[in-house]
This record gives sequence, structure tokens and C-alpha cells, in this order.
Amino acid sequence: MQKVWAVLFGVVLALCFGLFVAAYFIPGWWLPHLANEGNWGKDVDNLFYFILWATTFFFVLTEVILVYAMFKFAGEPGRKASYTHGNHKLEIAWTIVPAAILLVIAFSQVQAWEKIKYQSRAPLPDQIIEVSARQFEWRMRYPTVKTRDDLVSNWKGDPTKANKLADRWGYDYLADFDDLHIGNEVHTWKGAQTRIYLKTRDVLHSFFLPNMRLKQDAVPGKTIPVWFQPTEANGEFKDGKWVYDKDEGGKEKVWELACAELCGWGHYKMQGHLYVHKDKASYEAWLQHALEKQNVRTREKK
Amino acid sequence: MSDSHTQDVGAHHGHTELGFIRKYIFSEDHKIIGIQFLFSGLIFLFLGGALALGVRIQLAWPNKDIPVLSNLFPHSWGHKMAPEFYTMLFSMHATVMIFFVIIPWLTGAFGNFLIPLMIGARDMAFPKLNMLSYWFMWPAFIILLASFFVDGGAAGAGWTSYPLLASINLAAPNSGMGQVLWLTSLLFVGISSMMGSVNYITTIINLRATGMTLNRMPLSVWAMFITAILQAMALPVLTVALILQLLDKTINTTFFLPPGGAPFGNWHTGPGGGQPLLWQHLFWFYSHPAVYIMILPAMGMVSDIIATFCRKPLFGYKPMVYSMVGIAGLGFIVWGHHMFQSGMDPRLGTGFMLATIMIALPSAVKTFNWLGTTWGANIQYTTAMLNALAFVSMFVIGGLSGIFMAATPVDVYFHDTYFIVAHIHYVLFMSSIFGIFAAIYFWFPKMFGRLMSERLGKIHFVLTFVFANCTFFPMHIIGIGGHPRRYADPTLYKFLEPLQGLNVFMTVCAILLGLTQLIFVVNFFLSLVWGKKADRNPWHSNSLEWSAPSPPPHGNFETEPVVYRGPYEYGHPDHNEDYLPQFDPSTVGRGTPVHAH
Repeated sequence: MQKVWAVLFGVVLALCFGLFVAAYFIPGWWLPHLANEGNWGKDVDNLFYFILWATTFFFVLTEVILVYAMFKFAGEPGRKASYTHGNHKLEIAWTIVPAAILLVIAFSQVQAWEKIKYQSRAPLPDQIIEVSARQFEWRMRYPTVKTRDDLVSNWKGDPTKANKLADRWGYDYLADFDDLHIGNEVHTWKGAQTRIYLKTRDVLHSFFLPNMRLKQDAVPGKTIPVWFQPTEANGEFKDGKWVYDKDEGGKEKVWELACAELCGWGHYKMQGHLYVHKDKASYEAWLQHALEKQNVRTREKK
Repeated sequence: MSDSHTQDVGAHHGHTELGFIRKYIFSEDHKIIGIQFLFSGLIFLFLGGALALGVRIQLAWPNKDIPVLSNLFPHSWGHKMAPEFYTMLFSMHATVMIFFVIIPWLTGAFGNFLIPLMIGARDMAFPKLNMLSYWFMWPAFIILLASFFVDGGAAGAGWTSYPLLASINLAAPNSGMGQVLWLTSLLFVGISSMMGSVNYITTIINLRATGMTLNRMPLSVWAMFITAILQAMALPVLTVALILQLLDKTINTTFFLPPGGAPFGNWHTGPGGGQPLLWQHLFWFYSHPAVYIMILPAMGMVSDIIATFCRKPLFGYKPMVYSMVGIAGLGFIVWGHHMFQSGMDPRLGTGFMLATIMIALPSAVKTFNWLGTTWGANIQYTTAMLNALAFVSMFVIGGLSGIFMAATPVDVYFHDTYFIVAHIHYVLFMSSIFGIFAAIYFWFPKMFGRLMSERLGKIHFVLTFVFANCTFFPMHIIGIGGHPRRYADPTLYKFLEPLQGLNVFMTVCAILLGLTQLIFVVNFFLSLVWGKKADRNPWHSNSLEWSAPSPPPHGNFETEPVVYRGPYEYGHPDHNEDYLPQFDPSTVGRGTPVHAH
């Protein structure tokens, strides 16, 4: 009768395990679609799966031993437990083996982390955007094609200079006059090294692109460069309109931008969208279109 | 506890009989103070639980009409939960559970009750300070409860209270008076904890009974000792942080306001000269060790309970102690893992990552030693034991899920999603609270002289075990799906749509989990009055508290106890009984009594 407790533990733990396995197969219950597979997005996912396998192994190992012991050694009147205070060799074994595995996990991630966050590793950008967060929206600033070429594209031969100019545009509002200002829309194109100059005007926010596995807090008083390279497009700008691509299931590839750091009552409302154009031409068509709309409105006001 | 002091102990130790107020209200008796912490924690557990249910209800049915409940919300909110009310709910839920339930229960209730009894002392080293440490909680209680009724409501900037959201009064409707009271309330909690920890450290070092060497202390005492040291070293930093934010909010200092300031609507803060990240460093320098403050005592108590009901010596006593020391030591250099995405220099992240990954090691060693204890045991499935085993099995999940967030690149994605919410609840609910339940069932007879009902206890355990897993385990899944935490309405997002069904499921289970706790309350209070009378040692356990009467009188022991051996001599082959208490003078397994001091 005592053994029923082992069964209870076994069933509950097995159900938890089962839910994890099932989640992998249920659409929408697992990692969102990865859109920078060709870049470090793949590193993040690979590391996730590596840790998932390692932890699953230890989960199954320890829980099976526990449930088995609960079953096998359930109390019987009159029996005496085995008398031991421990085992030196076992202690050494179960210290050294997990230590080795943990060290492997620790060192296997250093490179990916450097690639994602170390500013010295920031790749030379093809596309630069300034994102300024405030309660409760994202304000984007895009350079015109000419500004971008002047600052970055024409200096590809001199990366130090290109970086410096891009940084001045991003940090110091250089070339403020003809930039495009728009809310809650991140536009870039497939294959473009995209650099975001992330700021906030008020409280903390966090720039979260689930499909790019990218997250960075925006900190008052700081400008933080972050970068990603989409290796897949989710639509194009056609006939003055954005048209989404469809995924295998026939659903539109809507990729979202979310705020991941509590920023007040409207935290949940800081929704934006990520538009990865199929090529540079589509992006520039959109930019032209958006600039025209912006500038017409400015003129009308006068 | 009405009958807890019927024994006439005055004669033994020269105590004069005290009046009701000195005995039960402004008591200097560590046992009464412990029980006071236990009762106030129980009240706040239900407040914190109710706040959590509010959170869950909003997440399952955001902005929907809910029968009865919707009508409770004012007309001005459109009979729906206002989002700033929602931010208040989760902020205060965490605050209440961490600072008013788990820490006071583990250190205040059990630290107080167990330390003198387990080391054979008559009371704490500083009984008056001990009394003050409880009564300094009361300003905290009152201020915290009052903050629900001030203009704008209680604090809503998260239990982490990051500036500028928390530090600028206009940044949120509830960042005004509510936040000021939050800071003040926590200052009192801090003072209370500090008094407690100083007392515990002194008591454990100085007041051990004859023969109670450090290596004969039960793991509960070791855990409380290490926890007290952690608290004493980390708390000053939190206190400083709280005071700095309080100054920012009240006399417009700018410790956390960056140069240039920030605009809020038509109002501008004016220039600052501070750093918002400074708060995060100070806060987590305390609050990461606080995570261990909230788990180490439970680990210690669970170790004692598991050994008792395995009827077998604890496997690897010294590795267990060393691993707790290791957790505490490493615990001071891992705080930066809360800040991987905060804008802190990513090179620091690499260092914090290494320390964080390695802290999994002592936790693993502890788990293996618990498993080693059950191997070859003769397990008695009491309610206390079931809760202790639940602690072990759930701590494995909570420990392993932490590794995902410790890995910096994976944390880029998982940071501030529901995965971390799952992780913290597997550590703090599924581990600490199961540990606390185990401890309550186990030491209840010593506290009150009566046994809790095993039948009700087992019903409570099974339902809690099932519903808690149903409530918290799916959080891992929605976390993997990218569900951000602290969202008042996740349904706005396309990528969260498939996860909404799980949100509803978790809410239903959370409500059932909450209702289940009523069984515990019924059991607790009925057993207090009608429970079966307990003798001195109802579980046939080994440590010193079981040599005292149940409940122990003021002064604890009739004669000063002498300790002859370690606390885990179960199933000794040369002894007829399957337990051999520390205070048993028989020659079996006996070392010479050594003087502790």
C-alpha cells in the first residue's frame, strides 16, 4: 500500500515530461519560427537543445532513481534500513562528472555570447535604425538611402570610419533633417546586417524580437547598439502595400516586436512588427513611400 | 497553543510565571516568537495567494466579462481589471510571498523555533532582540497593508522595483505613495531580519550544549547558520538601496536618474547625475543571496525529515554541509545573471555566467545525497515525508531549468519570459513551500503538543502536488513559446495566440490549488485543538528537540542535555531500536562528549 506513493510521484513526473515532449509537436507551443538561422540565431537554438538534452538526461536519471527508491524501499514493519553514512568514491564521482558537464556547457556558450553582444564584435552594418522607446511605443528613425550610403555603404573599405560615422548618426542625431520617423515598425531586408541604436526616453524597456532570438534592455541615459541579420524574409513591399509571405501552414508570417521589461501599466501594449523585405529594392521602395508620406504631411501643416 | 505552557517549569530554572501579555504577545521565548512568525506568515500566505489568483484570472480571460468578478471592478474601469491594477497584483504578490511569507517562515518561524531546541540551548542568545525582531515586522505589516488603500494603490513596479519606473513618482499611477510605502515597509522587514540573523549566529556559535560539536549539528541548524551569515552580509546592501530610492522619491536626489533626466508627459524630471543600473546591482546583490536564504533552510529541514523517515543515516553529512557553504559562497558572485540583458557590459556577463553555471554543482551534490539517503531505506510515508520527497523531486526541475537562463545566449531569448516564472515557482513554491509544509507537519507536535491529522494531511498533499504541477509546469511551455512576463493582456500578440489555452488551464488549476490550501488551514486549526496528543518523540527522531516535552516549557529542557553522537544514527546495527538519539547515553555508537566551547 505504501508503494502507491511511488506511483503518484511517477505518474505526475511522467505527465510533466510528456507535456514537454508533446509541446515540441504542437504547433505554436515551441520556439517561434527562427528567422536568422544563417546567423547567430542558430547558435542560440543549438545551445538550447544541447542544454535541453543534458538537463533531460539528469532529470530522467534523478527522478527515476527517486521513484524507484520510493517503490523499492517503501517501509515494512520490522525491517531495518541499511546502515551507511555515505560513500567517498560515490561523492567524488557525482561531483566530478556533473562538474565536467557544467564546464562544457559553460565554455560552449562563450563564443555565441561574444557574437551576440560584444560591441567589439559588432559586424559592419548594412542597415542602421535608431529605436527610441517610450511609454508605450517604439519610435524608429531611418536614414535615407543617401545618408546611409554616405555614412556606411561608401566606407566599406574603411570599417573604422564607417563604424564611427554610423555611431555618430545613432548616438548623436547627426543628419537629423531628412531621416524617416515612424512608430513601431522595424524594416530591414533579407541578409542585411542590421544595427539598432537602442535608447529610451523615459523608463526601462526591452527590445524583444522573438523570431530573431534578440533581446536587449533600453536604459535611460544610454545608447546601446544591438545587431541581427535576418536570413529569411517575411514579405515584400508591392504596389504601395506590404504583402506578407505565407508559411507552410498557409498562415501569414507575422513577426512581432515586444517589450520585455516592465515599463508601466501599458507594458503589454508596446507591440511592434518586424518587416524583413525580400530584397534591398523592396525595402528602398517602402522607404521612399514612407518618406513621401511623411514629407507631404509636413508640408500640409504649413 | 492555549495549552502550550501547562508544565510548571518555573521551579527548574528560576523563571517566574509570566502574565499573558509577556508570555504570548511581547514574548521573549524563542518558541513563541517562532510561532508568532508562523501565524503571521500564514495570514500573508493567503493574501499573497489571493493576489496571485487575481493575476491568473486576468491572464486567462483578459478584458473579458467574468461573472460576479467583473462587477467588483469599478465603473470607471469599465468593469474590467485596469492594467495598473494588474501590475500592482503581481508586484505585491511577489513582495508578500518573498518578504512576508517565505523568508519570515523559514528564518523567523523555523529558525527561531528550531535553533535553540536543536543545539540544546535554553533560549536565543539575545531574547529581547529576538522579541524586537518580530515586533519590527509589525510596522512593515501595517505599512504594507495600508499601501493598498493610498492614492494610486500599492506599488506596481514589480517586486524588483527598477528605476525609473519605481523611482519617478509620475512614471506610473502606483509609483507615488504606494512605492514610498513599499520601500518603507521593506526597510522594517530588513531591520527585523538583521536582528534575527545576528541572534542566530551568536546563538549557534556560543550556546551549543555539551557535546554538540559543529559536526554533530543537524543540517537544519547548519542551514540556518549559513543563511544567517548570508543575511547579515547581504542585507546592508538592500537597506542602502531602499534608502537611496526613498531619497530619490521624497527629496529629489538623483541616485538612479541619469544625466539629462527624462520626460513624462508634459513634465520633465530635470537633469540627474545617477545611474539606473546602480539599483539593479545593489538590489540583486541582496536579492540573489536572498534566493538562497529562501531555499537553504528548507534544504536543511528536508534533510532532517528525510533521514528520520528513511530510518537511515543521512548520506554524506559533510558533503551536504560543504555544498551549502559552496552555494552560499558562490551565491555572492552570481547576482549579475539577473542583468545579462540589462545593458551591463557583456564581458561581465561572461564572468557571472561561469559562476552561475558552477553553482549548479553543489545543488547537484545535494540532490544525489538525498537520493543516496533513500537508497536502501525503510521509508515511512508520513505527510511530512511526502512533502519532503516532493521538495526533492521538484527541486530537480527548478534547478535544471535554471541552467537555461544561466547560459547567456539562451538567456537572450528566455530572459523575462514565462520560463523564468516557471523556474522561480519551481524553486520557491514547489521547493521552499513543500519544504515548509514538510517542516510544519513534522514539528507541529513539538510546537503545540498535538499531531496534525495524517488523513487530511495526505489529501492536502496529493491535491497540492497535482494542482501545483498543473499550475506551474505549463509555464515552461509558454516560456519556450516566448510569452513575456508581466503582460496584462497577452492576447494582443499573434505569436502568443496558440498559448492562450494553456493560460486558461493554468488559471483553473491555480484556483483549485488555492482552494486545496483551505484543507491545510482546517487541518492546522482543528489539530491545534483536537489533534491527537503527542509524546516527546512521536517520529522516533534523533535530534535534541525531541528530548524536550511537547511543547517544551520556557527554558526548553528539564536538565541541560548532553550530546553523545551525531544526529543521524538511524538503523544502527548494534542497537535494538532503529533510532539512536543524540541525547541517548547508551554506549552504542558513542563518542566522548566534548565540550562545545
